[in-house]
Amino acid sequence: MKRLIVLGVALAALALVLAGCGSDGAEEKQADQVLKIGTLSPLTGPYAADGNDIRQGAEAAVAVIKAQGGIPGFSDIVVVPADSACDPKQAVAAANKLINDKVPAVVGAYCSSATIPASETLAEEDIIMITPASTSPVVTERGLPYMFRTCGRDDHQAPAAVKFMKEVADVKSVFIVDDKTTYSQGMADGVAAAAKEAGIEVLGHEHVNQGDKDFSAVLTMVKDRNPDLFYISLQNSSSGATMVIQARRMGINAILMGQDAVFHPKLIEFAKADAEGMFCTFGDIDTTTQGYLDFLANYSSKYSAPGAYSAYSYDSAMAYLLAVKAAGTTDPAAVRAELLKLSFDGASKTVSYDEKGDSGSNYTVYQVRDGQFVPYWNSLTGQKY
Amino acid sequence: MDYFIQQLINGLTLGGVYALIALGYTMVYGIIQLINFAHGEFFAAGGYMGVIFISWLAAQGVHPYVCLGIGLVLAMLYCAMLAMAVERLAYRPLRQASRLAVLLSALGMSIFLQNGLMLTQGQYDKAYPTEITAGGFQLGGLYISYMQCLIVALTIFLLVVLNLLVFKTRIGKAMRATAQDKVMSALVGINANHIIALTFAIGAGLAAAAGIMVGLYYGTVSYSMGFVPGIKAFAAAVLGGIGNITGAMIGGLIIGMVEIFAAGYISSQYKDVFAFIILIGVLYFKPTGIMGENVDDTRV
Repeated sequence: MKRLIVLGVALAALALVLAGCGSDGAEEKQADQVLKIGTLSPLTGPYAADGNDIRQGAEAAVAVIKAQGGIPGFSDIVVVPADSACDPKQAVAAANKLINDKVPAVVGAYCSSATIPASETLAEEDIIMITPASTSPVVTERGLPYMFRTCGRDDHQAPAAVKFMKEVADVKSVFIVDDKTTYSQGMADGVAAAAKEAGIEVLGHEHVNQGDKDFSAVLTMVKDRNPDLFYISLQNSSSGATMVIQARRMGINAILMGQDAVFHPKLIEFAKADAEGMFCTFGDIDTTTQGYLDFLANYSSKYSAPGAYSAYSYDSAMAYLLAVKAAGTTDPAAVRAELLKLSFDGASKTVSYDEKGDSGSNYTVYQVRDGQFVPYWNSLTGQKY
Repeated sequence: MDYFIQQLINGLTLGGVYALIALGYTMVYGIIQLINFAHGEFFAAGGYMGVIFISWLAAQGVHPYVCLGIGLVLAMLYCAMLAMAVERLAYRPLRQASRLAVLLSALGMSIFLQNGLMLTQGQYDKAYPTEITAGGFQLGGLYISYMQCLIVALTIFLLVVLNLLVFKTRIGKAMRATAQDKVMSALVGINANHIIALTFAIGAGLAAAAGIMVGLYYGTVSYSMGFVPGIKAFAAAVLGGIGNITGAMIGGLIIGMVEIFAAGYISSQYKDVFAFIILIGVLYFKPTGIMGENVDDTRV
């Protein structure tokens, strides 16, 4: 009798467990109706400015699609943000968190050194990843089927920068500094190689540490070698500003030039008058197109002015949402097919992806004038604005 | 030659900053044998307080150097009070506990303060109104900025004041007595808790001054700025002989100089490596640090 009772209790417990599983399954099915998009970007730490721009860009795209009536078959669209902190280890942990949250797609990450390991993790689960900001060539060169990129590539950016140095600025010598990340050093190496090829003398190529504030030793060296142009390839705009301030205070009169990570309104906010006249390469964004104006209206109503990568992030999320709409499902293979077919006028450019997942580069040189980045020279046409 | 002297000036400036921070480590260690890992956060908090006070005063149209002076004093006072609060909350209840417990408490406090800064001041860096101290002068082939002069002058001034305080006043005598023997000094009527709190306050005030100097010199402050200089300054304190005030000053200058010269003559990516090679080398031959010998009568 006792044994029967035990058996009965055990069975009842088992039934409860099974019932529990059943209800879980039902919940999941309901949750499937909600379309989730993960974002992966540095929300804390020194790169938080760009990281929050990326999250907000994706949120703005979702808001626009929802305002247009959403996507048939999905009751709601939500953004699930995750913090990569521009750190390879944390990016992988954050990617796993997004996998647990069952997102079918991720917009991100920011630093190439975080994007690359995170994309390996996401690829195992066939999750689509669209990076709005990682420009290292490696990102799309590994044959990952679900990896896409809305911004340009460094192997296009470096030649564009050097073409500007040679043809427009007409410099004879350059000094290069980077801060040893996959992106910043890759970019600096690219510029050094291209400059040598173009006959520009590379007077020095130094590396500083991420998070350094004191650049006096390196800058004294720059001043001593007296280059025509000082190329700053740091991973964020705040370090860039610190370097620009110190360089100008030290009396370095070389032309200053940065890349697309230094390009951010924060650079001017921090360096103020010292940033005047500095050049930066950045993917051209035509701020007069309808696509950009739509984005700006939606973005500015919710957040402050867009940062450097807001528009690219908006376009990345928009591309995914449009592809899901066309495919009618979140099945990665079907969405990938739609993404490859896609061509739409986004905020940053006309977005269309090639087989590798790249969407082409259109680097423009901007100059800081009166506290603003003003387009100066287009690398594709070779024309000044 | 100009290049060498220019780098020497850079090294002096950076070394001065490290020395100011290192003093806090060494004074606290001297008096309660605690490595106060939260010390770097006082440096960061001082930087933030400086930007708040100085920006506000500058916006009121106050003369730049008056802004700087008032901002400096207010930030130092603020950090001194913060440090006393930290000591009261996180360290005093553990006075009789094992040293490991206090060390963990210090690490926890460091994380707490850093995140507190991030949550109250935002994750973005803050810009100093650097234009108020911009400029410099040419001296032969050298270019010296006003900020470099200011950092070196202020460092020397604070070091002199600190030395007078510790070695020439009754409070200093009480601090030295407490460092040597807490029980004995209590018997002659010294309130050890007050003296320990005062030591924390002085150390944090010096760190706050360093935070403002760094903010003005380099242009920006960030909530995480305390970590790296904190580690370097700790290394400086150990190099000089932890617990010894003169040692901390010398250690700070050496670490700053080595960093700058390694960056200027070898490669900037190895500058930290060289700083720590020097540290390891000195400790190998002299485990107590450079000034570690007379630790018994001059430590605080």
